[in-house]
Amino acid sequence: MAADTPESAGDGAGQPAGEPDPEPAPEPPHPSFADYAAESVPAAAVGSPGKDGRLELSFAVDGAGETNLVRDLARAPFHVSGTLGHDPLPEAETVYVQSPTGGVAQGDRHDIDVRVGADAVAHVSTQSSQKVLSMEHNYAAADVSLSVGSGGHLDYVPEPTILHADSRFVQRTDLDLSPEASAVVGDVVVPGRLARGERFAFERYLSRLRVRRDGELLVDDATHLRPADADPSAAGVMGEFAVLGTLYVLVPSDDDAPDTADLSDRLHAVATAAGDSAEHGDGDDGDDAVRAGATRLPNDAGCVVRALGHRAETVTAPLRAAWDEARTELLGVGAPDSRRP
Amino acid sequence: MSDEATLESLRLADSALPVGTDSVSYALEQFVATDRVADAEDLRALVETVLRRQHGRADLVALRAAHVAAADGDLDAVEVADRRLTAVTLPAEFRESAERTGERLLTLQRDLRDDDLLEAYGSTVDAGDAPGNYAVALGVVTALAEVPVREACLLACHEFATAQLGAAQRLLRLGHTDVQRVLDDLRPAMVDAVEESADRALDDMTPFAPLVDVCSAEHERADRRLFLS
Repeated sequence: MAADTPESAGDGAGQPAGEPDPEPAPEPPHPSFADYAAESVPAAAVGSPGKDGRLELSFAVDGAGETNLVRDLARAPFHVSGTLGHDPLPEAETVYVQSPTGGVAQGDRHDIDVRVGADAVAHVSTQSSQKVLSMEHNYAAADVSLSVGSGGHLDYVPEPTILHADSRFVQRTDLDLSPEASAVVGDVVVPGRLARGERFAFERYLSRLRVRRDGELLVDDATHLRPADADPSAAGVMGEFAVLGTLYVLVPSDDDAPDTADLSDRLHAVATAAGDSAEHGDGDDGDDAVRAGATRLPNDAGCVVRALGHRAETVTAPLRAAWDEARTELLGVGAPDSRRP
Repeated sequence: MSDEATLESLRLADSALPVGTDSVSYALEQFVATDRVADAEDLRALVETVLRRQHGRADLVALRAAHVAAADGDLDAVEVADRRLTAVTLPAEFRESAERTGERLLTLQRDLRDDDLLEAYGSTVDAGDAPGNYAVALGVVTALAEVPVREACLLACHEFATAQLGAAQRLLRLGHTDVQRVLDDLRPAMVDAVEESADRALDDMTPFAPLVDVCSAEHERADRRLFLS
């Protein structure tokens, strides 16, 4: 059976004709989530926060050329406790977003909006992994909207997403770039609590990134997994690996844009070298084995690095090396150190 | 299907069609080089993945859209499908292979057939204003030859599988009977890919085969290569 096609929802047998649906479900974010959308979520416990999380961050440069966080709105579960100034680029600004509730639950709808103004340089990450919890009804969704103005740069590199057993999660990321803007977007997905043997036990995961420049679609990449219907371990898909990481490097489209063929070669070289050193010399068969590679994105948009491994740490290493190299190309300085606890 | 259409579809499915499918391996060469594909069963499994997860979720969706558009004489819609397919195809060598074979198919057909839409689309591709992906070119060509869309999709799957098996014979030690058996065994995957593509909108193409992406990236930098991809 096709992995992405929802089974037909039945033709209404047993339902009196003409009777309106008591509670029409809102439009699902993707047809494959339509069946889940029809399942109502049991009322949350009184006072439980964070079903409709909202995060808005806007960055702009001031008269001195420094980037500042000029607007921040964080509704639970999101929390922003301030900015960090540890970036090797002194004028850049960093925000680590916190989510103290402990996980994404059924019925959660999160909305994230990050805007980077002209000439601003911002780095947005998260304090900890995003745990998508087990679900019985409905699904969880996150809409991420990123925009970068002319001459600006955004690093959006959150910590990995961990898909617990029976979870259903859809994440849509839209990145809108001005012609002279650049960005780095990272995405790592872990298919369960691997340490306890939970692996590909989630129900459905769809993560999609669309990159547009001046409204024109340049790149559309989706990870769509439904393990019960289509084996993620099939040849050429994930093979023996569990964890998938992707780093998208979007370059400006003006005359100063880097040669993407050359950048792709360098990203490939640093990513594979970092992957090899993460293997600690125990060969390809060990738990530390990782495969990584870089290629040029469609429409001269930039480059993409894919990494596959058995653990989040070994997949993160080549992506981090590639991020460092990409930032050196785009901004003249490497990636900032991690400031997570 | 008319006799003319049947004969045209057999001609288009023939591995002797001079469009360069014998020079592309869509990462198979790297799978063999890294011992991930070592025998007929490995080969079947990999080609099945590409049929189901790449063709069923993307290439055939674009082929169908181009087929409908060409039958309507709608060049703009052909180009929309073409650009969409490019935007979802991440490995650079896959795009290059699809564009090279697509361009050769269009050139061949323009030499053989006289058709305004084919001419207009071919000129657009020549001018660099549309990518000219093979699946989209094949959708246009089959529509103009009145090959129905389902047959056109099956043709595309058969042609891809045959080309992959031809490449495998140059890379691996495989008997002729083994190769025919793999082609037989791939039939359910071909039919499923065609079914899968039928319900899918053009803006919902989601090919997903990350290990293929990584192998294609490695192939870009491989020292000795028989194939473009």
